Amino acid sequence: MITLDTVTKSYGAFQVLKGCSAEIGRGEVVVVCGPSGSGKSTLIKCINALETFESGQIYVDGMAVRSANTDHSALRAKAGMVFQSFELFSHLSILDNIMLAPRLVQKRGKEELREHAETLLRRVGLEQHADKYPIALSGGQQQRAAIARALAMKPDVMLFDEPTSALDPEMVQEVLQVMMELAREGMTMMCVTHEMGFARQVATRILFVDAGEIVDDCPAADFFAGRCSARAQAFLRFEEAHPS
Amino acid sequence: MQIWSWHGFFTYLGSPYIFRGALITVYMTAVSMVMGFLLGLLIAVMKRSQRRLLSWPARFYVWFFRGTPLLVQLVVIYTGLPKLDIRLSVLACSIIGLTLNEAAYLAEIIRAGLNAVPTGQIAAARALGLSERQIAWRIAFPQAFRLIIPPLGNSVNGLLKTTSVTSVISMEELMQRSQILVQDQFMVLELFSVAALYYLLMTTAWDFLQRRIEHYAERPYRRQQKTAAVEAIEFPATTQDAR
Ligand SMILES: Nc1ncnc2c1ncn2[C@@H]1O[C@H](COP(=O)(O)OP(=O)(O)O)[C@@H](O)[C@H]1O
Ligand SMILES: [Mg+2]
Repeated sequence: MITLDTVTKSYGAFQVLKGCSAEIGRGEVVVVCGPSGSGKSTLIKCINALETFESGQIYVDGMAVRSANTDHSALRAKAGMVFQSFELFSHLSILDNIMLAPRLVQKRGKEELREHAETLLRRVGLEQHADKYPIALSGGQQQRAAIARALAMKPDVMLFDEPTSALDPEMVQEVLQVMMELAREGMTMMCVTHEMGFARQVATRILFVDAGEIVDDCPAADFFAGRCSARAQAFLRFEEAHPS
Repeated sequence: MQIWSWHGFFTYLGSPYIFRGALITVYMTAVSMVMGFLLGLLIAVMKRSQRRLLSWPARFYVWFFRGTPLLVQLVVIYTGLPKLDIRLSVLACSIIGLTLNEAAYLAEIIRAGLNAVPTGQIAAARALGLSERQIAWRIAFPQAFRLIIPPLGNSVNGLLKTTSVTSVISMEELMQRSQILVQDQFMVLELFSVAALYYLLMTTAWDFLQRRIEHYAERPYRRQQKTAAVEAIEFPATTQDAR
């Protein structure tokens, strides 16, 4: 579904990504973890071309990301993205937030779209809030709405960049619930997170990123059974000792 | 000659000649503001562009029109265009001058508004596959507009009075008409008081309109998205007074 082939990126003289390679199959749930500043956000943003990279290649469902004639709109329709700070459009109601992109980008009909949006809202438990504006919702509700907004494009893969890091502790679970359900339904997911509980329950694989390199790429079972690199083990012990 | 003639004051207050002058002032303000806003939007977008081919002409425009007096711009337009064999009415020249001048100031206001749109929401729109054009019209402009209503309101208020500068090219707006009548009976104070009253009336009407626009634009940003009835129960008048 996603192929990362020696992706390299620099900010000036500072090399953020030092040749990252990985393969994510359809239906896999890959959790990306690693210390802050190691390049996780940058890596995930390269996949839907929110960030450019200098060398290497990324394929999303066979589509090359770094190419002069990449159709960015088509690429981004394949890969839904959820951000740390939700980024709902503050001037639009929740329903309009969800319907905007499918209407403009995919030119879908109003009737079908509205039905789809309402289904999604029910799925994330926000059917009561369709007509409210983002500011009237709690952080957890906003993030669930943001997930629904991304799903409205019927993406093949969902990218999450620390979706629960900006949330108050009591709201983390409601968002993780939605994500776990999505994982169990077979959605291909790539998720940057510090939530090791989530990783234990639904991750098929763990990518451990450190200083711009994927230093570990192993099945989740091995990771949690302590059969990965020493550095990854140290990180895991730290994360589990300091749940965010 | 008496110090103050109430008779003169009320005569001029009821004068259709002065009243029509005030209407012309409102008309020039409205047209110049709308056209100046559209031109200002274009210049603001150009100035924000990464491409120098776009940003430099925009920078030059703002530099030039903010750096020279409106009075000079009006005279140049009024006397210069006929030399290029372009013949326009005084009203057209006035509106062109006001529009070009206002656009430079509005461009800076609009630019500030666009800069204040959260970049995260722009990235989110991009991630959803919206084109840059769609992002501009659907996300950036609406959000920027809400942010700049107060300074835009200032501009409208200022423009209502700045239109009087067009009297220099003999545009018969409120101020010019007042001055013409002064020649008649030399009731300067009475006439200018009437003019002041008209300006106050127009700016007050605009204040009212602006508040309505602001109220509408702020709708999505009010945390209390409840019916008025519920609000009245939760925030009785007494607590509102206390604030
Ligand atoms: N726009 C930028 N310009 C310069 N450096 C950046 C920029 N964005 C991120 N960086 C740097 O790149 C590194 C990786 O950032 P990021 O991908 O956000 O890390 P992570 O998500 O793992 O915390 C950090 O050291 C950060 O300071
Ligand atoms: Mg990050």
